[in-house]
Amino acid sequence: MFELLGDGIVNILQWKYLIPLAIGSLVGVVGGALPGITITMTVIVVLPFTFGLEPLQGLSAMIGVYVGGETGGLITSCLLGIPGKPSAVATTFDGFPMAKKGEPGRALWLGIWASIFGGLLGAVVLVGATGPLAKMALEFGPWEYFSLFVLALSMVAGLVEASLVKGLVAGAIGLIITVLGNDPVMGKPRLTLGIEFLEGGVPFLPVLIGVFAFAQLMSEVERMGGGRTALQAVDKAVSLAVSHFKVIGEILARPVLLLWSSFIGLVIGVLPAIGGSAANMLAYDQAKKFSKHPEKFGTGIPEGIISSESSNNANVAGSLVTIMAFGIPGDAVTAVMLGALTIHGIQSGPLFILQNPVLAYGMFAAYIVAHALVLIILWVGVRWMLRIVAVPKAALFPVVLVLCVVGAYALNNTVDNIYVLLVSGIFGYGMVKFGFPLAPFILGVILGDQIEINLVRAIMTDSNPWLFLTRPISGGLLIASVLSVALAVWQHRRQQKRGRAQAEDDADF
Amino acid sequence: MRLSRDGIGGLVVFAGSLILIGMTLGLKDSPLVPIGPGFYPRIVLGLSAVLGFAMFVNDWLDLRNAAAPATSAAREGPPLNYRLVAVMFGVFALYAVSLPFVGFRIATFAYVAATNALLSPPAEPKHWARVLTLALTTAFLTHLLFERYLSVLLPRGRWTAF
Repeated sequence: MFELLGDGIVNILQWKYLIPLAIGSLVGVVGGALPGITITMTVIVVLPFTFGLEPLQGLSAMIGVYVGGETGGLITSCLLGIPGKPSAVATTFDGFPMAKKGEPGRALWLGIWASIFGGLLGAVVLVGATGPLAKMALEFGPWEYFSLFVLALSMVAGLVEASLVKGLVAGAIGLIITVLGNDPVMGKPRLTLGIEFLEGGVPFLPVLIGVFAFAQLMSEVERMGGGRTALQAVDKAVSLAVSHFKVIGEILARPVLLLWSSFIGLVIGVLPAIGGSAANMLAYDQAKKFSKHPEKFGTGIPEGIISSESSNNANVAGSLVTIMAFGIPGDAVTAVMLGALTIHGIQSGPLFILQNPVLAYGMFAAYIVAHALVLIILWVGVRWMLRIVAVPKAALFPVVLVLCVVGAYALNNTVDNIYVLLVSGIFGYGMVKFGFPLAPFILGVILGDQIEINLVRAIMTDSNPWLFLTRPISGGLLIASVLSVALAVWQHRRQQKRGRAQAEDDADF
Repeated sequence: MRLSRDGIGGLVVFAGSLILIGMTLGLKDSPLVPIGPGFYPRIVLGLSAVLGFAMFVNDWLDLRNAAAPATSAAREGPPLNYRLVAVMFGVFALYAVSLPFVGFRIATFAYVAATNALLSPPAEPKHWARVLTLALTTAFLTHLLFERYLSVLLPRGRWTAF
């Protein structure tokens, strides 16, 4: 393992891989820092650039975006009080107050160093656990895969912030998208609605790009009044100078906080399609609960920044574990990566590491090296980032959408994909307006075919449906899915009760 | 019957699922595979129909049990500009349709210029110059980068061969 990792690092340090990784990291930092542009959006923009590259070059660029984006989001969180992305929201709670108290450099570098430490702790698990987990997954038959995918969908549907039913409906709509077109087992046409293009099924990447790009950009557009919408002016005279030894010392003086927050980030990352936005909030909440002085949270204390930033970078490692060991995207960013792997003809899943060890360990190495690159980028250019984030959205949005068009078109050089992009965009925006969560929908679109293939395979191997329950792993996974739904229902009811009690209390006053 | 967005969304999902279930009934089973192509879609569509109906019923019950008639809660901040969103979708649709006819460069130039001008209406000649510069740079730089250096072919225009 260590030999392969060493080879991977030597490999990734070659210019042909290092340059895409560095560019990806830079683009990620900028994309992460830009409020209104998420990491998913940034990785979608980068996707078409990877088509003409070798698989490891393209994946390195995407890993760079992912790591850079998670770190870059803290810049505006700390200095402007505006989170660059949802996974940096909790950083704002203490980062901005600390900056306002006259310590912007300390706030910023506490976040950056915590991100690096959290990310590298995640790397230990990524490198150490992915292989054994993939080996375990190799023992899976179609029953276990079917149950695993059902668990992934039910967990995502249950853990989203909207109602459980809405989460489940969103997942079911995603599954419906995958039943349009030929059936994946016999290739027989079904539900093509008379559209010739649909005979090949709905391509998932244009759907993913359309849903995320339009849902996000149009949600920003609806707040624009037609005038220029640049960010508030940044005080360019602010000093970001800080003693790095002191900042690192502050972080390492809180080892339990660092380890626990990174662990939370990792676990959330491993769970499918939840992402860093939940990780940073949960880690912040945990840090506050276990703190001896919870009342100080939100006033600009280092614990708030360390917990949030170490968890969201460790979350990246968790997401990579899931996609590399099971072939299930840990979040939307890894869903795009899954698409990139498919474009290059690489099958993700448990056989991925065995069949592509150079690529797999290259990805591990890219993840580790990306942290060093992000550190260098921020060391050199953090002040520049403050100017870049002031780019008007009116100029940024059309360029982003043009790159989305290139990404969709270049998948198989057909304009039909651009129409899919448009329809998915309208659909995605509609879903957002109706309050449907996008994560279960996307997971449904990605896993739909696999769920069907494994269900049909299982039934064709043995028509006894009880095997789904009586095979230990499959049964365990299905029980876990039922429990996750039950837990979500219980949590929802508890929240409703609390809400009602709160409303009654308010009414008493 | 009063319904909120949830109720309407649930009804749409329910009705759509039923229509698609109806379409699966005409699918013939294959002699080679005992489970026909309609087996899995029927499970998924059945599930979505049930969930859509549950959403509708939930919403109907919530609104019925609400003590006071639901009023649209005032949203904080300025009103949302849905007109601009609709126009943006319209311009993008025009872009998508025009691509195979006029080609990537011309369509992209027109799209970027139109979108930028819509989102940030130019008031002075120098603003127009900025809009045109952005459109020109985006169209030609993306074309150059993708076609020349990344070997990604972009749409050619049927009318312009450009």
